[in-house]
Amino acid sequence: MCRAHAAVRGFVSEMVARPARERDLIIDMEAGLEHLSRGTGKDVTRLLAAIEPYYRSMETARRVAVLARELGIHNVSAVANKLRDDGDREAVREFCRAHDLELIAEIPYDAGLLEAERAGSTPLDYNPASPAMVEVQRLADRLVGEGSSH
Amino acid sequence: MRLAIAGKGGTGKTTISGSLARMLARSGRDVLAIDADTNPNLAIILGVAPQQAQQLLNLPLDLLERQTDADGTVRSVFTADPEALIEAYGVTGPDGVRLMVMGAVGHGGKG
Repeated sequence: MCRAHAAVRGFVSEMVARPARERDLIIDMEAGLEHLSRGTGKDVTRLLAAIEPYYRSMETARRVAVLARELGIHNVSAVANKLRDDGDREAVREFCRAHDLELIAEIPYDAGLLEAERAGSTPLDYNPASPAMVEVQRLADRLVGEGSSH
Repeated sequence: MRLAIAGKGGTGKTTISGSLARMLARSGRDVLAIDADTNPNLAIILGVAPQQAQQLLNLPLDLLERQTDADGTVRSVFTADPEALIEAYGVTGPDGVRLMVMGAVGHGGKG
């Protein structure tokens, strides 16, 4: 492992394992989960695997879930994104059922996200009431609700 | 809560991460977002201004120190102060989300 990688891994592990105060941590990471070390997986409240309704994406999520469980992350959930129709919904539901993955959000395909990018804005600033943002908000509310019950 | 979000490139995981981070912050929570992707663009989704994003620094390399145990085992120990690192290397974006970018650290990455 190169020094830069070790430094990042050390920092992320430290943040996950020893949160200094009441603070939420959101880590956007690659599918290999290289930034988590074995000992710190248990301190990750939840891993969300983002999936699109096509095979290679879902297969990547399945591998992410296996890796996550090996690292000791207990809660692994799938968040489906860019769903265009009922066929897409059924495909992700079926895949999650088959691989014992909890599907906690179904975010619809949303052309507004591309418009936001073109306008030099963020999805949330451009249109917080867009279909995708409404579903992400629902996910946020759910995660907060779960956190307060523990 | 401590959330990790992962997936294949293009799945929208960064859109989900960044939007979630801001929504949590809007509900009054203290949020630290960490971009650990080798193609970092969480700053864009968070709405961090480009000139502010340019101030983001990659973490220094000397955060780990090699220590030798009594039995001769050599371990790498994290010696830096995380809060000081967040202060020095992060930026604060809209809704008060604090962002840190880990930088391109994959094989062949800088460093």
